[in-house]
Amino acid sequence: MKRKWKHASAPLSALLPYLAPQRWVFLLSIVFVVAQALLYSLSPVIEGSVTTQLASDAADMAAGVPGAHIQFDRILPILTTLLTLYLGKTACQAAATITLTNATQETMRALRSAVQKKIHALPVQYFDTHPYGDILSRITNDVDTLSSALQQTLLNIINGLLGIVLAITMMFQLNARLALIALIILPMALLITGIVVHFSQKQFAAQQTAIGDLNARVTELYTGYHEILLYNKQEAVVKEFHAVNEKLRRCGFRAQFGSSLISPCISLVTYLVIGTVATLGALAALEGTLAVGSLQAFIRYIWQLNDPLSQISQLSAQIQSAFAAARRVTAFLSQEEEGIDAPGAKGLKKVRGEVTFEDVHFGYGSREILHGLSFTAKPGQTVAIVGPTGAGKTTIINLLLRFYEIQSGRILLDGHDIRSLPREDLRRAFGMVLQDTWLFSGSLLENLRYGRPDAPLADVISAAKGANVHDFILSAGGYDALVNEEGDNISQGEKQLLTIARAVLRDPPVLILDEATSSVDTRLEKRLQGAMQKMMEGRTCLVIAHRLSTIRNADLILVLRDGRIVEQGKHDELLKKDGAYAALYNAQFQGKEI
Amino acid sequence: MRLILHYLKRYKGWFVLDFLSVFGFALAELGLPTMVAEMIDGGIMQGDPAAIWQAGRVCAVIAVVGVAGTVLLGFCCARLSTNITADIREEVFRKAQTFSHAEFGKFGIASMITRTNNDAFQIQLFLNALFRTALMTPVMMCASFILTLRASPRLSVIVIATFPLIVLGVVLVSKWSRPVSEQQQTSQDNMNRITRENLTGVRVVRAFNNDAREQARFEAENERYTKASRRMFKLMMMTQPVFFLVMNFAVCLIFWFGGHLLQLGQIEIGQLTAFMDYLFHAMFSILMFSMVFMIYPKAAVSARRIQAVLDTQPLVQDPKDGETLSGPVEEITFSHVSFTYPEGGGEILHDISLSIRRGETVAFVGSTGSGKSALVSLLPRFYDVTKGSVRVNGTDVRQFHLQSLRRAIGFVPQKAFLFSGTIADNIRFGKEDATDEEVVHAAEVAQAEDFIRAKPGGFAAPIAENAANVSGGQRQRLSIARALVRKPAVYVFDDSFSALDFQTDLNLRRALRKETGDAIVLIVAQRISTVMDADRIFVLDHGSIVGQGRHEELLDTCPVYREIAASQLNTAELAGGKGVLS
Repeated sequence: MKRKWKHASAPLSALLPYLAPQRWVFLLSIVFVVAQALLYSLSPVIEGSVTTQLASDAADMAAGVPGAHIQFDRILPILTTLLTLYLGKTACQAAATITLTNATQETMRALRSAVQKKIHALPVQYFDTHPYGDILSRITNDVDTLSSALQQTLLNIINGLLGIVLAITMMFQLNARLALIALIILPMALLITGIVVHFSQKQFAAQQTAIGDLNARVTELYTGYHEILLYNKQEAVVKEFHAVNEKLRRCGFRAQFGSSLISPCISLVTYLVIGTVATLGALAALEGTLAVGSLQAFIRYIWQLNDPLSQISQLSAQIQSAFAAARRVTAFLSQEEEGIDAPGAKGLKKVRGEVTFEDVHFGYGSREILHGLSFTAKPGQTVAIVGPTGAGKTTIINLLLRFYEIQSGRILLDGHDIRSLPREDLRRAFGMVLQDTWLFSGSLLENLRYGRPDAPLADVISAAKGANVHDFILSAGGYDALVNEEGDNISQGEKQLLTIARAVLRDPPVLILDEATSSVDTRLEKRLQGAMQKMMEGRTCLVIAHRLSTIRNADLILVLRDGRIVEQGKHDELLKKDGAYAALYNAQFQGKEI
Repeated sequence: MRLILHYLKRYKGWFVLDFLSVFGFALAELGLPTMVAEMIDGGIMQGDPAAIWQAGRVCAVIAVVGVAGTVLLGFCCARLSTNITADIREEVFRKAQTFSHAEFGKFGIASMITRTNNDAFQIQLFLNALFRTALMTPVMMCASFILTLRASPRLSVIVIATFPLIVLGVVLVSKWSRPVSEQQQTSQDNMNRITRENLTGVRVVRAFNNDAREQARFEAENERYTKASRRMFKLMMMTQPVFFLVMNFAVCLIFWFGGHLLQLGQIEIGQLTAFMDYLFHAMFSILMFSMVFMIYPKAAVSARRIQAVLDTQPLVQDPKDGETLSGPVEEITFSHVSFTYPEGGGEILHDISLSIRRGETVAFVGSTGSGKSALVSLLPRFYDVTKGSVRVNGTDVRQFHLQSLRRAIGFVPQKAFLFSGTIADNIRFGKEDATDEEVVHAAEVAQAEDFIRAKPGGFAAPIAENAANVSGGQRQRLSIARALVRKPAVYVFDDSFSALDFQTDLNLRRALRKETGDAIVLIVAQRISTVMDADRIFVLDHGSIVGQGRHEELLDTCPVYREIAASQLNTAELAGGKGVLS
């Protein structure tokens, strides 16, 4: 048990830095909660003393004691005390709520920020090896779970525990014999909770599995709707769905009913205890050993025991999921970050744009992808990299921008080892147009200015015209038109043109084109060629393409296969060689005669 | 919430039982204080121990009956909420199966998944609270009101006075919380969006050195969200103490006036203590009700999203007394077809007329956005024409029974989707009762046999989720095999050779030629090499046909075709037409 606790508390300690700035506010709110609980537990006794006073007066009246009447002069001060108590309790509760909410929400804000910052600090490799849906759910759902746990559970636990302890103390104050009877509720409640949780846990696990199955089926069947439509499979998939849905219906019912049993079972014990205590208490009152008001107060304390106990089950589920969430968040936060810049990294002022690879070796994990790659792109040159899929073309870009670190050899920019440059300066030297066209949801103008936020509108427009996308922008509603969340109001081809314009606007010394026009049809690509040519003029260009027609004019073509340069030279030379390049080139135009 | 009401009708019995079992709960919560009052007034004050024992026995009975009621309540509530939720999910899924492309496009697949799973779950949470807690409130309020009235009509005036205060409080809180909750939801969506963008665009963000900017964008939204959350939680959590304070005031008043009534002998001391308990329990049930209010906004949003799905009428409808398309397809005719996507935008096809006869292989080429894919999607009625008509064997496609129309067509889409299951399962998706020979033959024609045999398990090899274990080209070939196994009357290849290398493309077309026989074959393609051997080629540009004929004719007559060809072939190839490589 102890070990379990220690294990569970480990992730909490990792979250401490985020709680720390708020520690005084948290402490204050706990003080308020304690004060509130104390005042709350006092009130039944005082209420009871009013009853006792009233009861004895009434008894006197009934017994015909001369001059007997309700002594309002005694009751008034008690009521005043009671009212003060109520007001004090409410004030403390309000203060606790406000302080706790402020502290919790501030902590969560800091935690969300930290997680977001972490995204920007992790190496790109992390995102290549982890599904982003997983990371996303960590950031949103898990932080949310923690937030509500901290906000609601903390208060309830402190309140509940204090309430139980105080209620028991008060009961012993009132009548030790009855208190012992009432005390039965505690072990019984724990026992009942233990048994029910033991059984319902299995049901919950089954429910969780059923939910997972349903999710998986729905995802696949909706994603494949096109095929279902085409092959008239609607009836069949409805049946398939029905089966998993029925399973969830059954499991869900069992889990829900099972967990709903805790509260009435505990209540049964409470009710019976109330009945017993009331009977024995009333008999005691009859003998005169217990005041009527004390009996009333006593019963109220038993009710006070019941409420936190009934909440145990809900709270325990919430606490468990909060711990799980905390573990996942801290695991994410403790991932190793992209190395910091080398100490004394010198900034680059003016970049000429000479890129050199010197015997570069690199692999993902143990598998080496590049085996001793060497080449130089002189300032202003266009170097094309071609080769079959998996030859390591895109890896070159990953290394050049230091998304990944090389294992041996050197990569130089203007003669400086890129590892000696601050990453910001290094990356500022490059402009990229990638196959994966990423736009963020904002206006087209903001997207175009992404690499140069202060670019004047005239420059933006001329860049757009250069990329042949100005007309599209006008027809889409102008430069202030919004890219919607899915980005699906813009076709893939147009997106590529926009990313080209974005790179042009940045005006970088080195331009990287990774399948930059793969989604643009060949006819449009041909038309773009002039603009592309102009864009590539005067800067170093690294071009990766599977369409060979786009690289005929390169100054140097590198043919990559299995991580090695197998041929290099100009288009015509390489064709004459009739080697790997010629084979690739010819494959493209074969088969037109059938 | 008419959505919930609609489904509730199916479970009237459970609902009635649920409602009745609430009385069990009320019996215990209110009956016990009544019995304690009985003990005080009938036992202690009268000095009668027998009355105390009698009341004690009644307490035990009340406890057992009350708990039985509460257990039954839990049972009914679980039945109701899980059943209604499952029904809603089923209905949404069934509805989705009547959708055409337009509706899936409108909602988005991700959103459809969320609506079927998460939104239904939100409703379940709400129903749970509704059937268990919310039903208690009116019962507890009525019952405790009657009991207070019985104990002392004059004192109950104080209780009555608190009710409107509480109701007002609930109304105000729900009114105030609505905009705050909406703001919270919006900010959360925005934060999630920024995070998602940062994750998907990690390379671009870094390459442009925009990490700080993205972080600032996030912080701003985070700040807004925190502010809204703070207000929301404070609003929600302050409800309880304020309600309790109202009750506390009432307690003081009851003591004070109760004392006076006691003086006058109009009430007994036990009744007075019971009175307090009634008030306490009634108040508590109202508090629980306010919890239901807290989850209501979220559930309402989910219900609206589900209702939107259920209320959608699919644009493509199966005709009531549709004709059945059977036998060979002799002719496909497009006459004066114009088309605009249902979600808007400009006209994609303008006044297209063409006719294709049995045994012909026809290709459509053109730039991205020229409308060639839209054109073939009208045939199996993924969409319906805006003007004109598409006819098969002289009959408008809209008059055919949808299933029979689609059964006649083997359509291979650009993006092939494979289902989890074995490779053979996926090919049999095209024809459930296909024999092993038919499956292997289809794979063979689709140039898929070699790579299938190379996989461990061969045709029994499993396809992973999202077909992650096959390459793009392999996926396309399996998708082609799936269409081939049906031996349809019409084949449509919608840019479905794009992921194949040139040699495979060539082999596949050679094999297809034998396989398709006298069926109609429609090919949509980007690559000139894919279409150059078609019987007829239609050239589309901006939604109109700008040329038709064979490859060689078009090179002479159609400038657009020549331009496309020139972008892919070199001059020698263009001039030679059939020439070998330079």
